[in-house]
Amino acid sequence: MTQKAQDRITTVQAAVIVSNFLLGSGILTLPRASAEVVGTPDVWFSVLLGGFVAIGAGILMAVLSKWHKGKTVFQYNQKLLGKWIGGTIGLAFVIYFFMTAAYQVRALSEVTQLFLLEGTPSWAIVMVFMWVSLYLMFGGINPIARLFELILPVTIVIYLLVMLMSLKLFEWDNLRPFLGQGILPVLDGVRSTALSFLGVEIILVITAFMSNPNHSVKAVVIGTSIPLVIYMLTVVIVIGGLSLDGVLTRTWPTLDLIRSYEYTGLIFERFESLLLVIWIMQIYSTFTITYFASALGLSQIFHFDIKTCLYGLLPIVFTLSTLPQNIDVLFALGDFLGKSAFFLFVPIPLLLLIITKWRKGANKDAAEKSGS
Amino acid sequence: MSSQLNNKLTEMRERMSFHSDVCIREITLGATEIKGAIVFVNGLADRDLIDLHILKALMTLRQDCAPLTKSYVMERVLTISQLSEVPNIEETVAKVLMGATAILIDGIPEILLAGTTKNKSRNIEEPISEALVRGPRMGFNECLSDNTAMLRRHGENDSMVFMSMQVGSRAKKDLVIAYMKGIAEPELVEEVAARICKINIDNLPESGYVEQLIEDDFLSPFPQIQSTERPDRVIGAMMEGRVAILLDGTPFALIAPVTFSMLLQSPEDYYERWLAGSLLRLLRFFAAMIALLTPAMYISFISFHPGLIPTKLAISIVGSRIGVPFSSLIEALIMEVAIEILREAGLRLPKPIGPAMGIVGGLIIGEAAVQAGIVSPILVIVVAVTAISSFSIPQYSAGIALRMLRFGAMFCAAAFGLYGVVLFVLLLSAHVCRIKSFGVPYASPGAPYRLGDWKDFFVRAPIFMMRKRPEMMHQESKRRQKNE
Repeated sequence: MTQKAQDRITTVQAAVIVSNFLLGSGILTLPRASAEVVGTPDVWFSVLLGGFVAIGAGILMAVLSKWHKGKTVFQYNQKLLGKWIGGTIGLAFVIYFFMTAAYQVRALSEVTQLFLLEGTPSWAIVMVFMWVSLYLMFGGINPIARLFELILPVTIVIYLLVMLMSLKLFEWDNLRPFLGQGILPVLDGVRSTALSFLGVEIILVITAFMSNPNHSVKAVVIGTSIPLVIYMLTVVIVIGGLSLDGVLTRTWPTLDLIRSYEYTGLIFERFESLLLVIWIMQIYSTFTITYFASALGLSQIFHFDIKTCLYGLLPIVFTLSTLPQNIDVLFALGDFLGKSAFFLFVPIPLLLLIITKWRKGANKDAAEKSGS
Repeated sequence: MSSQLNNKLTEMRERMSFHSDVCIREITLGATEIKGAIVFVNGLADRDLIDLHILKALMTLRQDCAPLTKSYVMERVLTISQLSEVPNIEETVAKVLMGATAILIDGIPEILLAGTTKNKSRNIEEPISEALVRGPRMGFNECLSDNTAMLRRHGENDSMVFMSMQVGSRAKKDLVIAYMKGIAEPELVEEVAARICKINIDNLPESGYVEQLIEDDFLSPFPQIQSTERPDRVIGAMMEGRVAILLDGTPFALIAPVTFSMLLQSPEDYYERWLAGSLLRLLRFFAAMIALLTPAMYISFISFHPGLIPTKLAISIVGSRIGVPFSSLIEALIMEVAIEILREAGLRLPKPIGPAMGIVGGLIIGEAAVQAGIVSPILVIVVAVTAISSFSIPQYSAGIALRMLRFGAMFCAAAFGLYGVVLFVLLLSAHVCRIKSFGVPYASPGAPYRLGDWKDFFVRAPIFMMRKRPEMMHQESKRRQKNE
């Protein structure tokens, strides 16, 4: 009927995609990962600062993208930097995206094996998950955005519920003293916490689909603020409940916190199943959008059909996800991805931004000269 | 002189020689010596009408009207409202076979056609498949003109448009596309009409054929077009900017486009006060969840994660399962399939026997199965709760979708436990997000967000607050209530 709405997403949908990407495995691991670096109970302050850093980077990328209307980063960096350099950088983005997808799905299979399906082989868990995701991706960006819109409110409501219920373990003393060792550990921690906001880079891709690309900054700010609030809450409640030392010794501190309280008299006494359910949904959304972004990048760089790329990535991502031998290697991979993201998504967009600006200026000059 | 008439009659006789129900009555017109004949189908045409207004009028003609002209007959003789003329025999035969009466008069080259179709229709009765406690007690019947008249009477409005077309290449049937001019989006109406025009089939016995031929995704378990017997529902939908399709010969009208949320709505939500309507609607959403997922949850908790349910409950469930020889999936499948068979049997049986069979099947077999140790009593509770929940879905076709999907959920649960159930829900949501009904995303207003439409989603806001029509339909006129 209305064909114009095809493959276009609203500003709200763009914000929702950013939020869903961010709220991945971070929910479960952020308290430990950041506490390890900060080493004082002021982790939440680091998270806040990290969030601001991420929003700053996000705004940078959003501005860059809205100047290239209707084009994804894979397309316009070829235009700006030439076919070969641009193509190589685009390929680096693609590799980053599907590595992230593999990392997410592996984290999923680890947690699922640990808490839900002890005997089931990892390949089975990963494979069905990827098929279900593939089904959604064949629909294109619109069904993805719509599904994310369904998932996000459910996630937030259930997550707030289980977190607030854990308040009976909460002790203010676990969070004191505030800035006991000065501001330096906090600033040091920003390096780590900013990485948990990986996901803002998706705005480089989805701005191309927005029906109103001028709102991309708005989308990225709103989309990052929601996880920022949730992450702050997570860190405060988990550290307040388990204490700093308790967090440091646990692999999945958030889950352990939810497992450590019981409410008798309700249908469920423990609530980790609820948390796991929404967490699986979040990993699903993160996996879907990263996988989709990398397939889209491949198809745009090499001019393949996107369906071919979606199928073609399947064995690659699957094999990658089986490579880490144990959970330590997996977390090391996560760290590596985070660091490489920092190099990929801060300097390069900045460079592209400058080139765009310069080109625009040059064009303007040329126009003026020819006009006069 | 009379050879012209005879020729025509002979040709008609030849064409209709296989139709034993065709009557040809030759007459002489009144006091004149002009010959004539009428042709009609016995049973289809209204005899009283023919006798009183055609035969009597023609046979009591006074002599002084000769020479007889066509306009004289049409204007002064035949006291019948629907009268037309056709030039050739072929068309005449087609019309006569649909109930018209052909009048042939010597000296008049054209054949006159009187509309004498007799509509034998049921009385207006309460719709059986969509009963309400409060609401109009009238449903559509099998006669298209009765149905359109019902819409006209209850949605009295000059902007109600009926677009008539004929479908079916052999058995021709009338079909009406009804919509509100000035509310329904013109592109939507065009799309519906275009899809119906594409139908190329010899016979359409029921509107279900139309539904299946014009729906967007034939693989989906969800109905993408709503069928209803209730005129109030159709008018309500038309007022929201939707399009209704009525077919002759069936009491089921179709409404398009449809969204997922509509499957769980009942007209009563609007007739009751808003609190009751909202709570009942929430209850139905809850019941749909139970109907879809409870057996799957049972399987996953028993087989995979007994640790996730309260310890006492886990112990009592495990205790009750001692002696059950099957895995939880087989156990649940036995009972679920049994109850589906019971339900189907109850539907097909004559009305007086139905309840008796329900008692035998449900109570006695259930009790005996537990006694014999084939299934656990907890499972019987689960299955019963599931069945009752699925009865609360207001639409039969939506209920069927949930019944099918329940088995899918059970298999997922048996393979992957709670993880499988979550993936199943994700797959289902992905499917709902992918399909569209006539351009409207099936998951709306849930996704994409249309917060204005959420007044009529999980809850039903007070009527004075619902000033606007649902946004997702892109109507031409947005407001249903004027400001102040």
